Order: sequence, then C-alpha cells, then structure tokens
Amino acid sequence: MTIHVESRKQALRYFYAKIVEPMGYKFSPDNELVEFILEQEVNSEGKYGIPFCPCQPIRHNRGHDMKIVCPCIPFHRKHFDAMRRCWCGLFVQQDVTDPDSLPQLSAKEMGIE
Amino acid sequence: MEKVTMYTLSTCPWCRKTKKFFSDHNIPFEFTDYDLADEVTQSKINDEMDAAGADGFPFVMIGDKIIVGYQPDVYARLLGLDK
Repeated sequence: MTIHVESRKQALRYFYAKIVEPMGYKFSPDNELVEFILEQEVNSEGKYGIPFCPCQPIRHNRGHDMKIVCPCIPFHRKHFDAMRRCWCGLFVQQDVTDPDSLPQLSAKEMGIE
Repeated sequence: MEKVTMYTLSTCPWCRKTKKFFSDHNIPFEFTDYDLADEVTQSKINDEMDAAGADGFPFVMIGDKIIVGYQPDVYARLLGLDK
C-alpha cells in the first residue's frame, strides 16, 4: 500500500493535537523540525505499521517499543515535563516559545528514574 | 584530541545536528546508525546504553565521557573548543 506522505502528516497533526493538548503540550514552533519528524513517522508507519519516535531505538521488544509510539509523553511524563519537551522535540509545553533553549538530557542526568 | 564515537539514528534530527557539530568543527568522529546496524551490533549498543541509563539518541562518547542527547556546549567544553 502506498502512503501519501503529505496527507498522512496532516492526519497525524490532527490526531496528535487531540492527544497532547490535554496534557499541556503543543507542536514545537520549529515547523521545519516538526515536518521532518512527521515525515520520519510516516515512513515508520510504512515500514512497521506504527509511528515510532524517530529518536529512540526500536528494540523489537513489545514492552519497550510500545513506550516509544508517538506521542509517547504518557510513558515518560516526569522526564519530559522536566525538559518541557519530548525527547525528539516534536512536542513542547504550551508556554514554550523558544524550543532551542530547552535541554535534551537523559532521565538519569535529570535525576529522574 | 579525545576520540569521538557516537551511536545515532538515521531518522533522528538531533543525531544529524550532532554529526554536523563535529563536522563543522573539523573533529573526526566515528558513528554507527543503530537503525541501519545488524542485530549483533544493535544488541551491543542496547547493552551500552542501558548501562549508561540512556533513553534515546544521540549517544556520544568523547574519550571516556558519555553524553546523551544533543548537547553542543558539553561537546565544546570536553574538546576544549570553548577556550
């Protein structure tokens, strides 16, 4: 099956917004980054049938991999809330206007287990 | 100059930024794209990342220091580029 990339990206934008807004997140204001990540996720859907995060490893272990299906915020809530962004930066907290100012630190480095 | 090695994903924009940082500063580095690696290599990378408590990519090693995530200020400090 051929996926129309641009229309699928628009669909993901629509669905993701419904999920992340109640959690206090929004799409990053860095639209170039958002477009790139969404394209990777559409490619992931084409390959695996699932829009995995493009910045975390697929380990072919269901317990692990289900925690990196976008939007994966609920599975990493303390970590992402502390960074004020998700790992790949697709989503940031709603009051963020300068996403480049946000750190990308591991949970361990942030003292979160 | 410390040896620079990194584990990355070909799909990850922060991994691309990391590679660009070292290229722009003419710092030689070796990298392995996890998603393009064979199963044995992926398993080895998983073990190293688990031991370091790493959640995602990029995973950069400068000498014996491990830096998880895109942290250009830390790369510069460890390589003495900030002096």
